[in-house]
Amino acid sequence: MIEISHAIVGHQRPLIEIEDLVLEKGKVYAIIGRNGGGKSTLLNSLLGHVPLISGNMKIDGMDVHSLRRSILAKHVAFVASKFDGIEYLKVREYISLGKFGSSSIWGQLPKEEAEHVEQLLEELSLLPLAGKFTDRISDGERQLAAVARALAQDTPVLLLDEPTAFLDYKNKKRMMEKLVEIAEQKNKCIVLSTHDLELAMDSSLIFLAIHRGRLEVIERLEKERFSYYFE
Amino acid sequence: MSVTKQIGWLIMGLLALFGAACLHVLSGETAVSLGVMKDAIFQYDPSVMDHVLFREFRLSRTLTAILAGSSLALSGMLMQTLFNNPLAGPYILGINSGASLFVGLLLMSGISIGGAQLGIVGAALVGAFVSCIFMIGLSGYLRNQISLLLAGMMFGSFTSAIVSILQQLSGAEALKAFTMWSMGTLQQVSFEELYIFAGTVSVGILLAFSMGKYLNVLVLGEKPARLLGVNIVRTRIIILIAVAILAGVTTAYCGPIAFVGMAVPNLTRLVFKTQQHHLLIGMNLIIGALFVLICDALILHWAPVLPIPLNAFTSLIGAPFVLLILMRRVR
Repeated sequence: MIEISHAIVGHQRPLIEIEDLVLEKGKVYAIIGRNGGGKSTLLNSLLGHVPLISGNMKIDGMDVHSLRRSILAKHVAFVASKFDGIEYLKVREYISLGKFGSSSIWGQLPKEEAEHVEQLLEELSLLPLAGKFTDRISDGERQLAAVARALAQDTPVLLLDEPTAFLDYKNKKRMMEKLVEIAEQKNKCIVLSTHDLELAMDSSLIFLAIHRGRLEVIERLEKERFSYYFE
Repeated sequence: MSVTKQIGWLIMGLLALFGAACLHVLSGETAVSLGVMKDAIFQYDPSVMDHVLFREFRLSRTLTAILAGSSLALSGMLMQTLFNNPLAGPYILGINSGASLFVGLLLMSGISIGGAQLGIVGAALVGAFVSCIFMIGLSGYLRNQISLLLAGMMFGSFTSAIVSILQQLSGAEALKAFTMWSMGTLQQVSFEELYIFAGTVSVGILLAFSMGKYLNVLVLGEKPARLLGVNIVRTRIIILIAVAILAGVTTAYCGPIAFVGMAVPNLTRLVFKTQQHHLLIGMNLIIGALFVLICDALILHWAPVLPIPLNAFTSLIGAPFVLLILMRRVR
């Protein structure tokens, strides 16, 4: 669970003011707003990269900006908008890297963690690709593998920066459906930024609209209001 | 790759290494009989001339080749993973440049460094470590890998400029000594010095193995690695220390040996197609040693007709290979 109170988010100058915001487990939130409005800054702030100008930001009751990296990694996982794949790194190995924190000095995973990786491969229908190199699969498959890698980290909060930006329509839809399914079944709090408004609406995500330096929570976004948030 | 398969490769590699070492130890201008070789190793008698010659000239050169090849290849692999760049190598860190600068100062300027009689080995070692400490310091400020790489290259240009000025100013004798060192050789290490050489290299190898799982995550890039809980600055410093130890001590004893550090890790990745760094470390050690052993065996073989400096020979083979890799990647 994410709690933000009296926060001013931004690099040196304030970008977004958030009075009081609670993001719950089991739900998917979509940060929307025009470019430069602070979508990535908000995500980066949640990842502990950008300190708050003032206020509080807590994940599972702990202050994000004073936690050690190794501890924060147990609470928040992140998926970038594009993963290009890495030469000679297999999908299964890539996903296992999400469990870096619990691997032995030889890089081996404990049995139950290795089983979790297999389970994730199965759930995201990546099993047939498990032995393939990450730079030799399609964009959609790669993005799914990146999500699996973040899920392997086994954190209650999952952040995604425009996860559908580089996918074709079919894969965009599949990705959104998958994320909603994951949030509900695994009881995770998922926050993503996106420009795919209609898709996010169809998937009934909760919107966090950044508009004129403020953050507005919108349970149901009307199509007619689209342009308002992007003026 | 399964563990049994990895062990299989390791055993095969070690066998090949043993074969190449035998080949190397037996190549040279004068023939050595297998009997003398066996006695010189197992029943060494310092009063027998053949034994002394074998041990000081043949065996020490073979062992030096193994140590130099292994440590250069491993240091190159560490750099390539750390910088996420297949063209990185120990020279990028300024190791060769730093060593050259200090050896140049010692041989050509008449300035005694530290006031002591350092000798070439000492000067090279100090130079390698000074440049490495400089780079480690920079790596705290320069968050981005490319900037660090560029800083290393600038450092190299800067030191080589000073070296050329020194060359211009120095006399024929000093110039020759420096040129000889810069050609690279495996013959300068005595049997006693080998213990120090091997001991130092072992420390570097152990450090590298202990960083294996961090190297596995670093292939994702520094930002994703940090998000997985890796302490990037600490990891970087430990890896750079390992590189400084491995490449520094090798450059100190053998002079600069080009391209082994860049070519061998690429070859190893190409052959094994894996990012499991524990296996890569092991295979780089073996293939690096094989590469230098074979190069040096050929040098010994051709020596009576055409003496080739080691540094030139490794470049002759390594440079086209690296070019090949570049073309395969970029095209």
